Amino acid sequence: MAETQNTHRPPGTCIPWEEKKKELPEITGDKDLVRRQWEQIDGLAYIYIWHCLLSF
Amino acid sequence: MDMEQVYAQRLKRYVTAMRNEKPDRIPIRPFVAEFTAKYAGYSCQQVAHDYELAFDAARKCAADFDWDAVVGNMVYVWTALTQAISLKYYAIPGIDIPPDTGFQYLEPREESAHMKPEEYDQLIADPTGFLFNVWLPRVARDVQPMGEPTSFRNNLSFLKGGMAMMQYFGGFGVQGDRLRRESGTVSAIAGILKAPLDIIADKLRGYIGLTMDLLERPEKVLAACEALMPHLTQVALSGADPAKNVPISIWMHRGCVPFISFDHFNRFYWSTLKPIIQEIWSSGHQVLFYAEGNWNAHLDAFAELPDQSIIYHVDQADIFEVHRKVGHKFCISGGIPNYLLGYGTPDQVRECCKKVIDGVAQDGGYIMDASAIVQNDAKVENVRAMTEFTREYGVY
Repeated sequence: MAETQNTHRPPGTCIPWEEKKKELPEITGDKDLVRRQWEQIDGLAYIYIWHCLLSF
Repeated sequence: MDMEQVYAQRLKRYVTAMRNEKPDRIPIRPFVAEFTAKYAGYSCQQVAHDYELAFDAARKCAADFDWDAVVGNMVYVWTALTQAISLKYYAIPGIDIPPDTGFQYLEPREESAHMKPEEYDQLIADPTGFLFNVWLPRVARDVQPMGEPTSFRNNLSFLKGGMAMMQYFGGFGVQGDRLRRESGTVSAIAGILKAPLDIIADKLRGYIGLTMDLLERPEKVLAACEALMPHLTQVALSGADPAKNVPISIWMHRGCVPFISFDHFNRFYWSTLKPIIQEIWSSGHQVLFYAEGNWNAHLDAFAELPDQSIIYHVDQADIFEVHRKVGHKFCISGGIPNYLLGYGTPDQVRECCKKVIDGVAQDGGYIMDASAIVQNDAKVENVRAMTEFTREYGVY
């Protein structure tokens, strides 16, 4: 659980953008586009695990 | 009348009833699962393991019985998906159980629960992380626990499971469109909800484990329920009908008396479910309370909710008592016993439908359905009797 203990994951997220962007070099292009796409795909992983719990 | 007009008429009928008002006639919205296989000539294995066959069976029933609303696939659990993920807790028709027995959920023994009693703090601190890192490796054979070497099968579990889940959920959209175009049938529900306490009993600690926890570590149980609340709300709203016509469904399992005490219901189950319902309602969505078993001990609590915020489905409870206590606030559905559909005669079914309609549907706000999800023990002639009687007698 070491990987999870210091992470606050709001509903809808697995790896929050605030955490991910620390790993990236300075974004010279459209920062919001990168954030939106990250969050959209990250949200699919969130849906996956919660539907494993709720639906299946 | 073309199918789009039929659909519009049915949607209006269904939505009007769900708002606890009086439509042109009583909508018929049976939650038919393995019954669809029996009617369409499929086995339980076929509709559980191949969702396209399940969709086909649902469409065939919707068209032939001329129902107002159905669920695109009420069997719902696609067992080929659960097999791809390698989930341990299903008995799959044709593999673990006979091909004409509906899939079964296997609850582990108390000592083998999917979450250990000392793990509450981990769940509370990070529910999503706990599910990925602790729960999933425990319930999925191929998923390696954190810190263990990964494997080909571990990687495939996520890839196959994720892609298959997207394919399946996408298939529901196509199914809803086909139901609308081919038979003018409304997709009855959108989005899924379960109560925090039910989730802990069903998938984490097991029912026996939970009942012990309620006595031995009640503060942990409550904190875990509270930690689950925002996630369950998020998932429910993420699948909700954007048009806000059809409700999110909540499948209510073992949070009522006598599974737990009245006090535990109030302190744990209801205190952490009610705010979710209120938030969903404030977003403009109704919730269908699919109250499996008998929840009449808690009708006063449910009556605390805003008018029209829920549709209350009655399984084994006294539907007339439900009507007396909450019928002025909420639409009611169900109340036709499954044993009658399985073992009774068409005349007995008609008699029961008349009694229910006379008793609870006089002012609208009622939807015809069986008490519980209809499986392959129901007789076709009895389901037809329920349908045809309601269509003739249930005109306002």
